[in-house]
Amino acid sequence: MINDTLFMMLIIGLIISGILLALFIWGAKTGQFDDSNKMVDGLLFDSVDDLNDAINKEKKVKEAKEAKEKEKSLKENEQKKS
Amino acid sequence: MSKVKCDHCHLSFSDEIMIKENNLNFCCKGCQGVYHLLKDDGLDSFYDKLGNKTIAPPLQIQNDDLEKFDTENFAKNYIKTDENGFNQVDLIIEGIHCAACVWLNEKILFDTPGIIEANINFTTNKAKITWDSDKLKLSEIILRIRSIGYNAYTYESSIADKKAQEAKRDYFIRMMVAVIASMNVMMLGVAKYTGFFTGMSDEVKWMVHLGEFLLATPVLFYSGWIFFKGAYYGLKNRILNMDFLVATGASFTYIYSLFILFGAKGESYFDSVAMIITFVLVGKYLEVIGKKSAIDTLDKIKSTLPLEATIIRDGIEKNVSLNEIKIGDIVKIKAGDKVPVDGKLLSSSANFDESSLTGESLPVFKKTNDMLYSGTICTDSVVEFEVTKDFKNSTFSSIVTLLEESLNSKPKIQTKANEISKSFTVIILTLSILTFAVWYFFGIDLGFDYEGTNHFEKSFIVAISVIVIACPCALALATPIASLIGISELAKKGLLFKEAKYIETIAQTNVVVFDKTGTLTNGNLDVITSKIYDESKIDILYSLVNASSHPVSKSVKKYLEKNYEVSKVQLNEIKNIEAMGMEAKYEDKKVFGGNLDLLEKFNIKYDFEEKMTSYTFCVDDKIIATFELEDEIKEHAKDLINFLKAKNIQTIMLTGDNETVAKKVAFELGIDDVYFKQTPQSKAKFIDDLKEENKTVVMVGDGLNDVVALSNADVSIAMGNSAEVSLQVSDIVLLNSSLKSLQNAFEISTKTYKFIKQNLGISLLYNVVTIPFAMFGYVIPLVAALSMSLSSLIVVFNSLRIKLK
Repeated sequence: MINDTLFMMLIIGLIISGILLALFIWGAKTGQFDDSNKMVDGLLFDSVDDLNDAINKEKKVKEAKEAKEKEKSLKENEQKKS
Repeated sequence: MSKVKCDHCHLSFSDEIMIKENNLNFCCKGCQGVYHLLKDDGLDSFYDKLGNKTIAPPLQIQNDDLEKFDTENFAKNYIKTDENGFNQVDLIIEGIHCAACVWLNEKILFDTPGIIEANINFTTNKAKITWDSDKLKLSEIILRIRSIGYNAYTYESSIADKKAQEAKRDYFIRMMVAVIASMNVMMLGVAKYTGFFTGMSDEVKWMVHLGEFLLATPVLFYSGWIFFKGAYYGLKNRILNMDFLVATGASFTYIYSLFILFGAKGESYFDSVAMIITFVLVGKYLEVIGKKSAIDTLDKIKSTLPLEATIIRDGIEKNVSLNEIKIGDIVKIKAGDKVPVDGKLLSSSANFDESSLTGESLPVFKKTNDMLYSGTICTDSVVEFEVTKDFKNSTFSSIVTLLEESLNSKPKIQTKANEISKSFTVIILTLSILTFAVWYFFGIDLGFDYEGTNHFEKSFIVAISVIVIACPCALALATPIASLIGISELAKKGLLFKEAKYIETIAQTNVVVFDKTGTLTNGNLDVITSKIYDESKIDILYSLVNASSHPVSKSVKKYLEKNYEVSKVQLNEIKNIEAMGMEAKYEDKKVFGGNLDLLEKFNIKYDFEEKMTSYTFCVDDKIIATFELEDEIKEHAKDLINFLKAKNIQTIMLTGDNETVAKKVAFELGIDDVYFKQTPQSKAKFIDDLKEENKTVVMVGDGLNDVVALSNADVSIAMGNSAEVSLQVSDIVLLNSSLKSLQNAFEISTKTYKFIKQNLGISLLYNVVTIPFAMFGYVIPLVAALSMSLSSLIVVFNSLRIKLK
């Protein structure tokens, strides 16, 4: 019984550390750890404004991409029509 | 005079010179402008982020070169289009000092409509900007960056840079996987080793082994992949390297532990597998970072060259890219422009700032037919020159090429640990095979009594236990740990070692070669003798020298400030007489000061010879004061030379100066050999000759004229205030340029080297003691586990003794 509990805890522990490791690898692969200095100092910039900025940044990229794609498809449609 | 902080850059200046505005103080118009711009744009939280740090005042840039960013030629070379049809450009931003600067630049770019993404790397100052070309031109982006006091240059992001970036990321992930897994393995290890003493059921033990197996497997095969690769390439070139030792040690330990996990009796050593890989990988990662930062510096240097040049062909001015410039073309540059290629001056005269090449901060005066070097800056006038070398062969480009080569060249030194590891690997593998053969073929059966194993298995397990016990952990740690502590000690004394291996080389030096100016001497002139005939006119003299930035004037000014009560008076019509001195009007009197050429020009009679640099000051054609100046020997230079002599290290001085000056300095310091009138090439040749005699040569220098010699030497040391290229090629940088630190470098390196040898001794001794036990099958698991950790710990603690005085 004790051994079973121990085994379960071992496996759960390994799974959790596996998840954290996977998150870390995702972060590293998307370049979040490329700039060690910025990462360390960046932690200090966590006011509401800064966090909003971060969200807006992602939004802006998304919107710009969508707008561009719309434009593209519009152009393609026009070309097809003509 | 009270000092007041500027509200933008936070630098302190005296109250009088500040620009006042309500309660605000600004040190310059630039700071004031940027401050208001940030306030108006709601970006004043920049100052909260800046905190107490200071930044440089905003750069003053004329925006007359903006159109070049929008030319087709430029777009072809530097602007890329991404998959969404947006434009992308790589820039290096000048003027970034802190995270707040990065924030500000990113923010202001992000707030600009049309810019999609702006990402600035704080460490390298490189920026990647993505924008919509329909809404915005690149020149507007550059203008935006300049408006807040920074500047941006384009650079070509090279393949080498991308590769280094990827390698860095790859190694980082591998290292972190190894670190995280090792930490968990060690926690399980605590349970395992406690089990030895308190008793542990086989079932629990199996669980611990299983957990360790799950954690160690990715470490060996994912993180440790680098060592397998390294070992493979080593074998291909018939070299048994450290990688091979680590790879074989770790994988045999792993295989042995697998036997244990799947039924054989005994202890698993998965923890050793994870730890060896992790420790050695951390060392490798540091090397990779070094390479990346070297490439970043190179990109920074390259980005400072202009992108285009104005040439005059058949009387028509034309802008061409640098590669299109041909020998014989006539190039026109404005004040503040960089010379793009080497050439011969056609205009009558101009001043050039050669600090990027020589480290000399003062402009150099050039006349018609004088040589101009690429990378230098024309400081005062519009000049034309004839091209004598194309872009690729010009000074600046050839230095960059030289640097690239030195980056890619193989390490100069085979480190001690690598040497040992070669023979060590061979010996251990032979011993292990021998053990197996003896046990199997001769049927020897000592000490080993695991039940349920047949004869072959027994022999195999014993053979592998030899490799396991010879775990290269301590050996692999011996050098890096001692070097790491040595390097941090050196850093405390202001010594920047680019790589740890130079500690060994420094400790084995036979010859130290010095450059003179800037290395042994300050390179600043100091007043040695002074004769002042009329002290009432000192204030006029002080005002005159104050108006010039020439080193002689500066030294005289410093001397006057130190020895007399001086104050400024109003001078009119101050004129610079090139290469001679200064002339001005005080009330209705004509005043001038300069060298003897100036006196001859104004027909003044004098009755002294010019033995060294001199400065004479006259009012209304009457000599008021004369000064003699000399380059001063650096503090501690004599002690350093004596110290080296006591260590039986030969000292040599190479200088471009003339015989008298060179011999005087050498005699004063007691330097063994002196060679004068040396060119950069002859310096380099000299170093090569010394190396041919099998001597370990350390070169200490600062200017561009030392660069080739520096890169030829076994270890090169550059002063902290050297030309940037010298810093780049040198292996060690004396951040405070003090010769006392140089002596520390020798002292600490020798000490560290002693400890490296001790560490290697300890780890070898450990193997000599334990391997025989393993060969006879007497490896008790507890002893094996303890001794393996203990040997590593002893090495670590022994290395810590470097810190002790």
